[in-house]
Amino acid sequence: MSDKNNPFFVGYLPVPGPLRRFLLLASVLVVATFLLTGLLIGSTQDEPPASGFRFDYGRQTVTGVIELTPYPLLRVTQGNDLIKPGKTLMLTSGGKAGVDMRAMGLEGQLATVSGIILQRGTIDMMQLRGGRQGLAAAEGDPPEMVTEQLGRWKVAGEICDGKCLNGAMRPGRGLAHKACANLCLLGDVPPVFVSTQPIEGSDFMLITGPDGTRLPDAAYNYIGQFISLEGDLERRGDILVLRMDTTTMELIDG
Amino acid sequence: MSVKYIPVQWNRNKWLYDAVMLVGVVLFLWLFIFVSPELLSHEFPINPQVHNARAFGACAFVMLTVILCIGPLARIDRRFLPLLYNRRHFGVMTVFVAITHASYILNWYFAFSSSDKYEALLFANTSYGQLAGFPFEIFGVFALLCLAVLAATSHDFWMKFLTPPVWKRIHSLIYFAYLAVVAHVSLGILQDQQNHTFTVIFIGGALAVAGLHAYAAMLDWRGGDERGADIDGWIDICDAGDIREGFAKIKILPSGDRVAVFRQDGRLSAISNACAHQNGPLGEGRVIDCLVTCPWHGFQYDVTNGRSPAPFTEMVPTYNIRLNGAGVQVHRDANPPGTYVEPVQIEVTA
Repeated sequence: MSDKNNPFFVGYLPVPGPLRRFLLLASVLVVATFLLTGLLIGSTQDEPPASGFRFDYGRQTVTGVIELTPYPLLRVTQGNDLIKPGKTLMLTSGGKAGVDMRAMGLEGQLATVSGIILQRGTIDMMQLRGGRQGLAAAEGDPPEMVTEQLGRWKVAGEICDGKCLNGAMRPGRGLAHKACANLCLLGDVPPVFVSTQPIEGSDFMLITGPDGTRLPDAAYNYIGQFISLEGDLERRGDILVLRMDTTTMELIDG
Repeated sequence: MSVKYIPVQWNRNKWLYDAVMLVGVVLFLWLFIFVSPELLSHEFPINPQVHNARAFGACAFVMLTVILCIGPLARIDRRFLPLLYNRRHFGVMTVFVAITHASYILNWYFAFSSSDKYEALLFANTSYGQLAGFPFEIFGVFALLCLAVLAATSHDFWMKFLTPPVWKRIHSLIYFAYLAVVAHVSLGILQDQQNHTFTVIFIGGALAVAGLHAYAAMLDWRGGDERGADIDGWIDICDAGDIREGFAKIKILPSGDRVAVFRQDGRLSAISNACAHQNGPLGEGRVIDCLVTCPWHGFQYDVTNGRSPAPFTEMVPTYNIRLNGAGVQVHRDANPPGTYVEPVQIEVTA
């Protein structure tokens, strides 16, 4: 039923006088809603952890021994002011790609790598330059590298892609980032397990499938989630490597 | 109203409407994108691409929430009807904001790999069997597709081409789109939030949409149009004296359609309550310049034959009408749109 007491609005006619003040108030409320929500949501974003590309360090070039876990690591033997001998670097290419194919023929050999460091806490990764400028065999006999077996561990935490976790993307972990992490891992970017508690002094460890295999397909459903799993832990230089037992992987509530 | 299709029939009120909405959206984005990073002053800031994606995504959610609140608000308080008038423009604006959000996401999270980013969007996460870690992006894709369909068919050409009932059904997709957005946000960004300000705003917005719709539905149920009694094909409407000059009484017919009985110059005429434009409630309008005027978009009809004045061509069905004593009765069967029916003179008692 229409109501003669209410002013009647027709879009192509002037707004009736009594309605003008109401519409002015409604307009102010609409604008205020956008203003307040924009300011509130924008200014309460969580702070990402300290991580990212260290372009401020400049391009780094070091030499060391390539190890395939299968994800390639560089055990640094000839470092520089920033990267000392004994350091272990995870390696990655530009974009969502690892360096597996480039490192494949260099396992156990000396190689020189060059690129930009990604850093998060104690864990370092190098994004290599393209082609032989980024990774090339170096002359000399490789020294023998020690791998310390640390036994079987049960750990709780989250599987991430090492590159985004190290700050290539901020934020670079969590469920909202899961698809991106999966895409990185499918591209052979080294996966990293972020432990809820330090293990052998480290919150982070490179994680692989059992017996030197890649991250198993079953793990992709658990990326970015709070899980527990068991595996064999080893230390390679200053990096821990966890070889997961796929059958022990389970979600943790909360 | 128009005799030909043009992109937008601008008038002063539409300009004002769009300006207000645009100011709101620009303010939101400016504060989020340019002011909030200064306020946050993170040592290692959120990537600009992620920050911008969040800004446009949150803005699209607020815009959709406002859009969906307008409908029930206009049913609860008719003074909100002007906000309904140009809502389609705001809807189209929302699509562009949502597309910008999707572009930032695609060109950041799904770029830089050897795969096509659109393919990557579909295969990167296939954990459909679980709630946590569910590929929430698919809800965003669905919502964006719905909004794109709504925007593409928002013009009056499509309404006439598809017919208002079909067009309205298609545009009910907005509710599915909103549900998909709620799922998209709930299973996505909300899973990672430490600061819950957005969570509170998000839940508040979604509850406002649900609450206003429920309240409006309750008001309709309690005080809505009544069903008329059918006596040999004639439906009782009301006493003739109950209809005020220039206004109407609405009744629901056995077919479920609504009829609006108008009084104009002391004579009664009955036409369909559904406007030929968007099925707006003609009976809630009034007679202006001898023409029934729809409260939604101002479409006008001659109450005696249901035709828009020349050169316009819109028509609505009319109904045969008679007086039974002091009561008004309308025949349950509608006449073809545009059929003239002689108005019934109300006897004036001294």
